[in-house]
Amino acid sequence: MNHLHSSLSPSLVTLAHEHANAIVNELAGVTAVIVATTDGFDIASSVRIDIDSARLAALASSIAAIGEVVSAEARLGSTRCVTVETDSGFAVAYRVARLDVPMVIKVLGGPDAVLAQVKYRAAAAATLLRDA
Amino acid sequence: MREHKILFTGTMGAGKTTAIGAVSEVPPLVTDVMNTDTSSAKAMTTVGLDFGLLTLDNGDRLRLFGTPGQARFDFLWKILVRNSLGLVILVDNSSADPLADLAVYLDGFVDELRTLPCVVGIGRTEQHPTPSLDDFSNRLEARGLVLPLLPVDVRRRDDVLMLIDTLLAQLEVQAGDDIP
Repeated sequence: MNHLHSSLSPSLVTLAHEHANAIVNELAGVTAVIVATTDGFDIASSVRIDIDSARLAALASSIAAIGEVVSAEARLGSTRCVTVETDSGFAVAYRVARLDVPMVIKVLGGPDAVLAQVKYRAAAAATLLRDA
Repeated sequence: MREHKILFTGTMGAGKTTAIGAVSEVPPLVTDVMNTDTSSAKAMTTVGLDFGLLTLDNGDRLRLFGTPGQARFDFLWKILVRNSLGLVILVDNSSADPLADLAVYLDGFVDELRTLPCVVGIGRTEQHPTPSLDDFSNRLEARGLVLPLLPVDVRRRDDVLMLIDTLLAQLEVQAGDDIP
């Protein structure tokens, strides 16, 4: 595997899996959680729907990077998250600002998911993964 | 004044971000992040898009977009190519298999290439002369494509302008109008 993932500390990967599983299991309506590097490689995922987690990891990194550019151009400070709301749910992507391997947490929620709840939980996971 | 959109695509490390930066008259927008792919020595890589602007002598303005190179971002290729008037494919001739690299983008834009003018820029040919331009030309011909092939150093503004001029010349011929 030509990827830094293979040299990530096992404890960090385990922690990422734990947070992904916890968010999916604890929050109603959440259909997928992906933890990915900012250049689009999935580190951990927990999904309840038929979706390609590798592809979602790439999408998460793109949307986070585009969010950063929007924030910078609009002089809105550092990006915390990017939210996409749709007529049947939402996607949120939170930055995990690690210096060694910057990451993104992407959470997909269906119509039954509560956006505020998901954002609160994803932000907390981002902080914990940053400080781990 | 008219505006045209041109899309730069090609291999990771071929110099899409550098090319746009070489000719853009505004600080280019870049979405580079730390590269964690250890098969490449690059420190940073584009995961969203690049964007720059170039005004031509006749006042027309080019909006220059760049794609991420890696195929895992091909969903952005399809988004970014929409409404493009031309495509620039950059290939790094120092890579392990530059001909296969080119094929990735010919496949990725196969539908668009039926109608979209395209020019191929081959980088690092001075240090890596093979495959030759003829080799690339033969691969294109095998697919029924006849595209301009140019050796380029994307750090040189004149080289990138030559790519763009070549693309615009194709547009002019194809459209039969007065696009410069």
